[in-house]
Amino acid sequence: MNVQIVLAGIGGQGILFSSKVFSELGLRLGLDVMGSETHGMSQRGGSVIAHLKLGKFQSPVVRSGTADILYSFEENETYRTLRFLKRGGTCFVNLEDPGRFDREVLSYLNTKDITFRSLDASGTAFQMGSIMSANIILIGYSLGTGLVPFDEKDLRHVLRSVSRKKDLEMNVKALEIGIQKGKS
Amino acid sequence: MAKKETRILLGNVAIARGIVEAGCHVVTSYPGTPSSEIIPAVVEYKRELGLDTYIEWSANEKVAFDNALAASLTGKRAAVAMKQVGLNVASDSLLSSAYTGVIGGMVVISCDDPGPLSSQTEQDSRFFAMFAKVPAYDPSTPQEAKEMVQGAFELSEKYQIPVVLRPTIKVSHAKQSVKISPVRVLDRHADFKKDPERWAATPKYRFVLHRKLNETLKKIQAEFEEDSRWNYEVGSRRSAPFGIITSSVSFVVLLDILEELRLKKVVNVLKIGTPYPFPQKRVSEFVGRHRKVLVVEETDSVIEFQIIDKRNVLGRLTGHIPLQGELSPEVIYDVLAGICKELGLADVEESGDEKLQQLIEGLDIRGRRPTLCAGCPERAAFFAIRKALPKAIYSSDIGCYTLGLNLKAVDTVLDMGAGITLASGFYHAYHQDKNDVPIVATMGDSTFFHSGSSSLLSAVYNKARFILVILDNEITAMTGMQPTPGSEITADGSEGNPVSLEGLIKGCGVEWIKTIDPYDVEGLVKLLKDARKYTQMSDGGIAVIIARHACLIRYPDVLHENPVKVEITSDCDGCQYCIDYFECPALRMSDEKGRVEIDRNFCVDCGVCIHACPKGAIIPV
Repeated sequence: MNVQIVLAGIGGQGILFSSKVFSELGLRLGLDVMGSETHGMSQRGGSVIAHLKLGKFQSPVVRSGTADILYSFEENETYRTLRFLKRGGTCFVNLEDPGRFDREVLSYLNTKDITFRSLDASGTAFQMGSIMSANIILIGYSLGTGLVPFDEKDLRHVLRSVSRKKDLEMNVKALEIGIQKGKS
Repeated sequence: MAKKETRILLGNVAIARGIVEAGCHVVTSYPGTPSSEIIPAVVEYKRELGLDTYIEWSANEKVAFDNALAASLTGKRAAVAMKQVGLNVASDSLLSSAYTGVIGGMVVISCDDPGPLSSQTEQDSRFFAMFAKVPAYDPSTPQEAKEMVQGAFELSEKYQIPVVLRPTIKVSHAKQSVKISPVRVLDRHADFKKDPERWAATPKYRFVLHRKLNETLKKIQAEFEEDSRWNYEVGSRRSAPFGIITSSVSFVVLLDILEELRLKKVVNVLKIGTPYPFPQKRVSEFVGRHRKVLVVEETDSVIEFQIIDKRNVLGRLTGHIPLQGELSPEVIYDVLAGICKELGLADVEESGDEKLQQLIEGLDIRGRRPTLCAGCPERAAFFAIRKALPKAIYSSDIGCYTLGLNLKAVDTVLDMGAGITLASGFYHAYHQDKNDVPIVATMGDSTFFHSGSSSLLSAVYNKARFILVILDNEITAMTGMQPTPGSEITADGSEGNPVSLEGLIKGCGVEWIKTIDPYDVEGLVKLLKDARKYTQMSDGGIAVIIARHACLIRYPDVLHENPVKVEITSDCDGCQYCIDYFECPALRMSDEKGRVEIDRNFCVDCGVCIHACPKGAIIPV
């Protein structure tokens, strides 16, 4: 299996943690893992992006037009990172109000056979009392939809192994809520 | 032999692993993106494996370099890590030590930042290695970076010369499943052998040392010609119409693209991991075997310049590769597509999706620019500075507070320490014309320890007049919360011997020093006005204000003890003064309501924005 993933958002949304989850997932599946991350100045509330390549790849960066999956945790960052998706790719977007997303862009994505799925992950996270969990909710959601080539059991296992003790319970809860949202 | 374990490591962590696997005794650094993660990773390995490594965050890169060098002179292995512009600061030591050489292996890690993403220049550290006449290693991946650290230590020790390792940001901040090896413990005891003709060489002996250095470089060049670990070919090894010479992350990016385009069998690739001394024969042989050869390297043209016969060579000198910026996969893909077309090799479509780009551009979405965090004490200080002295020249420096740009309270950012030196220079240039202009320099505590103090004492001595505001958040915040010489702890968490900022400033000869918490905006405004008066008095001078409040990212709990919750009243008329001049991420204009709102996801209850509304519409709850 070769999968290229892009994770996008702004500083503080847990992009690097999400990237770690998928890296460990890749390792668990016996795949070679490569990727790259944004550090430094950009972390001060600026755009943060992580690339992840699982399988037979040599370089850590994803080229525009080749990503299989895009996770975007912030609306404006979504517009800026849609270019990474390949024809037929899938994106999962954290959106408070899906109706607000630009219609022209959506119909163009449609012509490229790109699947666009959105969820108010921040709102869901706020309701469960942990606004920091939106990233895990969105990842869980993607698994629930069955549109990504990963198994719930593997992800549960990985999340347990990478979570800090104090976050473990909340992360597991967020994942399950996400999965349920994806299934319904 | 123990089974090799695989772990996913960030490039800089892989470098740290290489350092401990090589049995390195002393590791020093000054933080700077993209190098900052190396030292914390060495600290982690030290803890995990119970090592005896001496690790220090030094006051600046030159200090770090010299401390590592001294350890090498006693026979121990030493590594020093910095960002590429840090090597400018340490360059005096690098160039001199190339002549004197080293004893224990000494590896100089200089992380480059093509783009640039987090630096003031795109300079190529491989040129610095050439300039200094020391060997350079240029890794492509975290795995190779780790192996090269080992190789660099061995080479350094064999030829008694410092060696530069040059990872670019896409190696330092790449992650990869890396095969780790056992950690070596080298039992060596400090044993400095006096040899004044070498370690204290006068110009006459320097000539001799230079001749020896040139002889050494010839031997290393011969070794690099034969070394297939770092310099190797991917492809048929036969003659072909087109070949590529490349290095660093561009090598692996090219491999992925050639695979995708099924061009691997058509195009031969020569990868150069040791750009200096240059494996000239190997490269000439490769160039001679191809009708055209493209050179793809970041950030400058170190390989291309060194190729002797350039008649069939394409690269920056022929306009095929951009002269600035990162060689992203998109850039490399398009260069390759163009050349494939030019040479009639393959018909490759250009990358990019113009339709999508046009649609997105039409939406006029602005990327988020980096900004000071909600509750950042530096924002409070900048706001007060603009309020007290709106017409001043604001010279500033490198750190989080560079973002004072957004608050229109930063006019210059040159390099580390220049907040003070430019203030001094501005003063003299105006004073010469008998013009008295207010000048406010801003600088962080870590930067002041790095290169501010020598700038300040020179300004005092030469009778400059300006206000210096030291933004003391008690940490090196921008690069990831490293301690400063003013901290209670050292790099590995052990107890430090903190240096008093006030004492240091006093020692520089400054007589007017005040300390204040910048959250007291009105108090700081008054102090700035007093300071301005002092700079104008006949017996006045440089006035220094220490605006001290700990970084909120480092100490998030402080505000929980004494929160100042605010709300915005209906007096808000949507003028957006607070957004333009205070720019807190928690303040947001609501177009629907026509007024500013507080985003509780960001607000940390610091209460400072109460001062930022000219209409008095932001009030405590």
